[in-house]
Amino acid sequence: MKILFINNDGAGFADHIEIADGTTVEQLFRKRVNEGNPADYLIRVNRQPASSDQVLQPGDRVSFTPTKIEGAGRT
Amino acid sequence: MRFSPLAWAKLLFLRDLGPTEVGGFAISDAQDLLYLEDFVLIRQECSPVTVAFDDDAVAEFFDAQIDAGRRPEQFARVWVHTHPGNSATPSRVDEETFARVFGRSDWAVMAILAQGGQTFARLQFHTGPGGSLQIPVAVDWSRPFAASAWPDWNQEYLQNVRPDEFCHHQQIREHAGPLSVSEMLDGLTEHSHQFFNEKGPT
Ligand SMILES: [Zn+2]
Repeated sequence: MKILFINNDGAGFADHIEIADGTTVEQLFRKRVNEGNPADYLIRVNRQPASSDQVLQPGDRVSFTPTKIEGAGRT
Repeated sequence: MRFSPLAWAKLLFLRDLGPTEVGGFAISDAQDLLYLEDFVLIRQECSPVTVAFDDDAVAEFFDAQIDAGRRPEQFARVWVHTHPGNSATPSRVDEETFARVFGRSDWAVMAILAQGGQTFARLQFHTGPGGSLQIPVAVDWSRPFAASAWPDWNQEYLQNVRPDEFCHHQQIREHAGPLSVSEMLDGLTEHSHQFFNEKGPT
């Protein structure tokens, strides 16, 4: 089945991909991010927060976006 | 790295609008990724010396930009924020964020504009052997550019920049309130004075 997948890592990615039926959010994360720390990503499905065991559905929009982007003027 | 006059004017305007630092992403030309067409604020909590993006707002920004037909390399590679005072040198927090968040991308730029006008930009890349280098910042006047839009920029500031508790008090004490459109329009003379005296990137 096809989902829309958005990921900022590497070259950045925003396109439809083919995944196996029954794929969970966690499985997709492990496949696409492998050694990354889930805490460094906000994972949303159809613009809503998602749990790691959520089973993806055809046409879902899944995004892995960065978290804790913080700047400061002084050390 | 070159800012369009529009992007540069907007960044200066937002830097000077309130008592806080501000941050956002620059939007790059699709064919020329180091030409910055625009600067977009992300919903953020700010103090005079810090800026922290809201994680949901980052995700919403990605959704909106992708729906507008852009690729991540056009809207999520040039991280821009301002500093109070005269120094645009990255802080420890800046370095940590740049390494942790942007170290996962093929390339990224950390760009800082200080209140006093100093600029800083470092390009890091992770393709091939990888590396990083400081790059000059300029305003590119050679292409057509859109007019400034102060009321819209003011609105964007109001919608996205949430001053922290400390700032609220400071604002009430020290600022007549540059945060409403009417008050801002009243202050146009003062602002244009500032803009005309702005020396541009250093
Ligand atoms: Zn900083």
